Amino acid sequence: MNTQTQLTERNSNAVARVDKEKAQKGPTVTPAVDIHEDAHGITLWADLPGVSRDRLNVHVQDRTLFIEGEAMVGTPEGLRLRHAEIREPRFERAFSLSTDFDTSKIEANLNDGVLKLIIPRREEAKPRRVEVSVG
Amino acid sequence: MSDPLFNTSLFNEFDRLQRQMSSVFGGLPTSIRASRFGTFPQVNLGSTDDSVEIVAFAPGIDPAKIEVTVDKGLLTISGERTRVDSPSEGRAYAQERFAGSFRRAMELPRDADPDKVKARYVNGCLVISVGKRETSRPRTISVQ
Repeated sequence: MNTQTQLTERNSNAVARVDKEKAQKGPTVTPAVDIHEDAHGITLWADLPGVSRDRLNVHVQDRTLFIEGEAMVGTPEGLRLRHAEIREPRFERAFSLSTDFDTSKIEANLNDGVLKLIIPRREEAKPRRVEVSVG
Repeated sequence: MSDPLFNTSLFNEFDRLQRQMSSVFGGLPTSIRASRFGTFPQVNLGSTDDSVEIVAFAPGIDPAKIEVTVDKGLLTISGERTRVDSPSEGRAYAQERFAGSFRRAMELPRDADPDKVKARYVNGCLVISVGKRETSRPRTISVQ
């Protein structure tokens, strides 16, 4: 019975912590992505409409790739919203990367609201053909 | 604090799940007016005292290929988004981004003036501004 109580307490703390973090950052939209992999690495496209270069934050921390962006659309003063399909102007998505990828050489390119990331594979992790000698 | 295992918001995940489910069971009949969940582009609409502002979130489209028309108070946005340089070799994992032709229509308020439509494409957002007729603008009446 004693363990049970402790478990419950610990869980409620965890929930409270998440709630507090979310309250600070607010809800976000998960951007749609396309991911393609070939021998050189991974190419990722993410839809981030309305996000300009200075409001985009792509970073890698503890082998996790974070994409965060804030949409800004120039609207005139005194706008009253009538209908909204995108309610939160903040985009956020995270991906975990295996050690095969060289996170120091990620190329990022933002064009017309589409982010293109090229994540190269490490040299030693690239697939190679092993010659089999007959002898 | 970053916590990759628990950092995903539950509602975002539900959102994504619903999108995936609706793409799998998309053939079921729905209300004739209900737009499909996850339509492209998503549209926000607002108004000010002298204009109606429409923002279509349509990233990665050549502005020359977007067509905006106004016909009898119905504003239509149509165009096509092609999947850029899809290489033949390798493997595709996620294919969530919209590709294909799209069309969205919305009814403009009666006081909107179809002769005063301006559209611009900024950072993947199509911003359309429709002016309102002079007569419909709010005015204060001075009391004598």
